[in-house]
Amino acid sequence: MQQGGGSETEVTWEDQQNINKFGRLNNRFHELEEEIKIAKETNENLEDASNELILSDEDVVRFQIGEVYAHMLKVEERLETMKGKASEELQRLEEEKESIIAQMAELKKTLYGKFKDSINLEED
Amino acid sequence: MASSSSSPAPMIAERRGIPAATFVEDVETYLTQLGLDVNSSLSFLQERLQQYRLVEMKLLAQQRDLQAKIPDIEKCLDIVATLQAKKGTGEALTADFEVSEGIYSRASIKDTDSVCLWLGANVMLEYSCEEANALLQKNLENAKASLEVLVADLQFLRDQVTITQVTIARVYNWDVHQRRIKQSA
Repeated sequence: MQQGGGSETEVTWEDQQNINKFGRLNNRFHELEEEIKIAKETNENLEDASNELILSDEDVVRFQIGEVYAHMLKVEERLETMKGKASEELQRLEEEKESIIAQMAELKKTLYGKFKDSINLEED
Repeated sequence: MASSSSSPAPMIAERRGIPAATFVEDVETYLTQLGLDVNSSLSFLQERLQQYRLVEMKLLAQQRDLQAKIPDIEKCLDIVATLQAKKGTGEALTADFEVSEGIYSRASIKDTDSVCLWLGANVMLEYSCEEANALLQKNLENAKASLEVLVADLQFLRDQVTITQVTIARVYNWDVHQRRIKQSA
């Protein structure tokens, strides 16, 4: 985000706080994109794992807990719980992202309204 | 600390050792108050920005450490929970673990009441399952609380960086404006 031009528009404390808020939201937006990418991968991995499980014939599954692989019999339930949690997490992140996009759009309107060309709020 | 009657939130002077950036109401008054000409004030502000960036890097490193620590603690809690679940059944838990890269060995973990926790600094202590749970939960909560404080610190810091950047731009623009006025006069 840069400012340019040689105009004399005054910047009030309220404007500064709006700019600060926009900066914070933008940072959080990028962090969320990263987190959503990881969450999607986790979801896919769990999906693949449960598909593999259905295809495989064995009773005993080596399920990773921490750093070791424990031999377990009732893995499907555990997997389902993990899948449920993962998809909830993904949904929560997506919702937060939507909310941030909306808030940023509002702030853009306000800031561009006051500063017009003197402010640049786009991604470089 | 100054706040005008129409401002939505008061300014904070500093936070945990990080000085707040002074918000400039009017560039001309700011420069006369500081008693600096444009170039000196610009270099002062640039220096402040550098200092903020250094602190930001330190905080980001701490944040990465904490973000790695939290999943570790959660994994430990998972294992303790699994051991506790197996306790009632009387069967041994068979687990494959890594001995060296790519080489795994099988272990049979019998019914047990205690676990050993690695505390760091080459120290490992034996705890009962309940104690281990309690300790790990406490560590997890502390880590999450520290992370929250750290994130708030980073947000404050980034705000100060933004304020300083805006002030630099305004001082520069004011200077350009003054030169234009002088030229046209």
